[in-house]
Amino acid sequence: MEVQKEAQRIMTLSVWKMYHSRMQRGGLRLHRSLQLSLVMRSARELYLSAKVEAHEPEVPLPPVRSPDPRLHQSREAEAGAEAAPPDGEPTSPEPMDTREAPRAEETPARCAPRPTKVSRKRRNSSLSDGGDVGLVPSKKARLEEEEEGASSEVPDRLQPPPAQAEGAFPNLARVLQRRFSGLLNCSPAAPPTAPPACEAKPACRPADSMLNVLVRAVVAF
Amino acid sequence: MAGAGGGGCPAGGNDLQWCFSQVKGAVDEDVAEADIISTVEFNYSGDLLATGDKGGRVVIFQREQENKSRPHSRGEYNVYSTFQSHEPEFDYLKSLEIEEKINKIRWLPQQNAAHFLLSTNDKTIKLWKISERDKRAEGYNLKDEDGRLRDPFRITALRVPILKPMDLMVEASPRRIFANAHTYHINSISVNSDHETYLSADDLRINLWHLEITDRSFNIVDIKPVNMEELTEVITAAEFHPHQCNVFVYSSSKGTIRLCDMRSSALCDRHAKFFEEPEDPSSRSFFSEIISSISDVKFSHSGRYMMTRDYLSVKVWDLNMESRPVETHQVHEYLRSKLCSLYENDCIFDKFECCWSGSDSAIMTGSYNNFFRMFDRTTRRDVTLEASRENSKPRASLKPRKVCTGGKRKKDEISVDSLDFNKKILHTAWHPAENIIAVAATNNLYIFQDKVN
Repeated sequence: MEVQKEAQRIMTLSVWKMYHSRMQRGGLRLHRSLQLSLVMRSARELYLSAKVEAHEPEVPLPPVRSPDPRLHQSREAEAGAEAAPPDGEPTSPEPMDTREAPRAEETPARCAPRPTKVSRKRRNSSLSDGGDVGLVPSKKARLEEEEEGASSEVPDRLQPPPAQAEGAFPNLARVLQRRFSGLLNCSPAAPPTAPPACEAKPACRPADSMLNVLVRAVVAF
Repeated sequence: MAGAGGGGCPAGGNDLQWCFSQVKGAVDEDVAEADIISTVEFNYSGDLLATGDKGGRVVIFQREQENKSRPHSRGEYNVYSTFQSHEPEFDYLKSLEIEEKINKIRWLPQQNAAHFLLSTNDKTIKLWKISERDKRAEGYNLKDEDGRLRDPFRITALRVPILKPMDLMVEASPRRIFANAHTYHINSISVNSDHETYLSADDLRINLWHLEITDRSFNIVDIKPVNMEELTEVITAAEFHPHQCNVFVYSSSKGTIRLCDMRSSALCDRHAKFFEEPEDPSSRSFFSEIISSISDVKFSHSGRYMMTRDYLSVKVWDLNMESRPVETHQVHEYLRSKLCSLYENDCIFDKFECCWSGSDSAIMTGSYNNFFRMFDRTTRRDVTLEASRENSKPRASLKPRKVCTGGKRKKDEISVDSLDFNKKILHTAWHPAENIIAVAATNNLYIFQDKVN
């Protein structure tokens, strides 16, 4: 448990450092970003292996990953727009500016509904609104199908990490997002059909997560 | 290891005893960020010592001629020239500020009365000419002594201007500006032994320049992956071989060094030699990957060896053996158990440099708490010394320092937890011929030399 907490703390710290390295004079430093992402990867592996050791059977989502988006939102609101110093707080680790207006650099592809919301909706729709599925525009349905595939990854993360192609450096964007989706309830990169879905769902948060912005910054550099 | 018992354990080659010589810089506790020294370099003769700082300024010190009346006191270094090399710039395309911090200075070999050096920040390299003016012409026909133009109709006779001595004035002028060739941040420059070309290296590319040509450079190494998300390593340092003008090396963030031969192909992406030490599995830790990143690589003066500095050690490599270094020296092994804290305070990212003595018999590198370490390759002894104002009496011998790693702390030892990690010595330089060293401690430059026996 201690190992898990420590690994989580280091992951938090690393993202915070990456955010701040963007702000410093001279811009994002490639070498520094690379080193931070290496530490994040190690921390993630440590976190996952410690989790596996601690809980041999599969467990449902840990308490950290709040399934309730409203609860998650309020927690993020508490975290505030300020860069929160890493205090080991596992639930609101990021200085996510959740109230920030959509930025110009956002692309529609990045507008990602949260998997838990989607999964909740899907669960709801499958349980109670099964009949409504046929009334939903086809694009949205396609989104949900793909999201379903993506969301099913969510519990998979609890299992021992699948044999990854560790030869090449894992896709940084994907790794960062996957790594933190448990903590931040960010979804993996949504498919391009996201925009209409985004607009359709009032709860969809158009503001990009800090993580996505960071990742984009690192990748685009 | 060295300095056991706190005695005067000799350091450097041939039983040297290091003494304080000079310290340059402000005494204030409050250090202005712009004054932090970011590079130190002796010229080829050792008569000039250049420093660059975070504010983009270059200060050159010149060694005074030896005083015949005091033969035992070596020449002191005094300020020779100060100039603003780089200014902060703004890249409008990327909305990024370009820092004016001088990353590296490299001198050119002297070919005439003037001195030339290359200085670089993250994006632009400049060739500076430093020249002396100690005469001025007097007796112009068309203008007065104060520069006012004379009325041509009033000139009744012509005279030849004569040169009169004046107070020495040292002028620095930028002769070439090598810009717009690097997308990423420049970390190294290195002058070739042909004295006509030089290389500049950033995180992903190395370019070859001709000193006379500023609008073109040749890209000789490019490790940028097609998909940036697959990036696994960056270039951290590069240097030309001191004698073979076709050979250069570059180090990576993965702890490897590649030696390239420019004769084999135009683009040296394929190395001629690949130096890597297999990782010791027992020392593998969470931060192994980042502490193995090489922060500096330097050829020996002989050209037979090269030295690399990673976070905890310096290694000497024989160019003929790629499988492992011939020597490994621990700089501050006691920090291995503190890596997590060092990650938190960002110290783990510090880039330490290293340097060879003129004869290649000793190597030196910096550490924390204003300590620096010297390793004698022949006697296999090492010593830890400190650059501090407290030991700054003229010709005072430096006492070896010792860090207590655990257990009972002996007198005069300092415990690991008491080390000041804000006082770091990242940049050091060794005179090319004599045992004189320059050590940059934040905003102060210390000069030490061996006691003349």
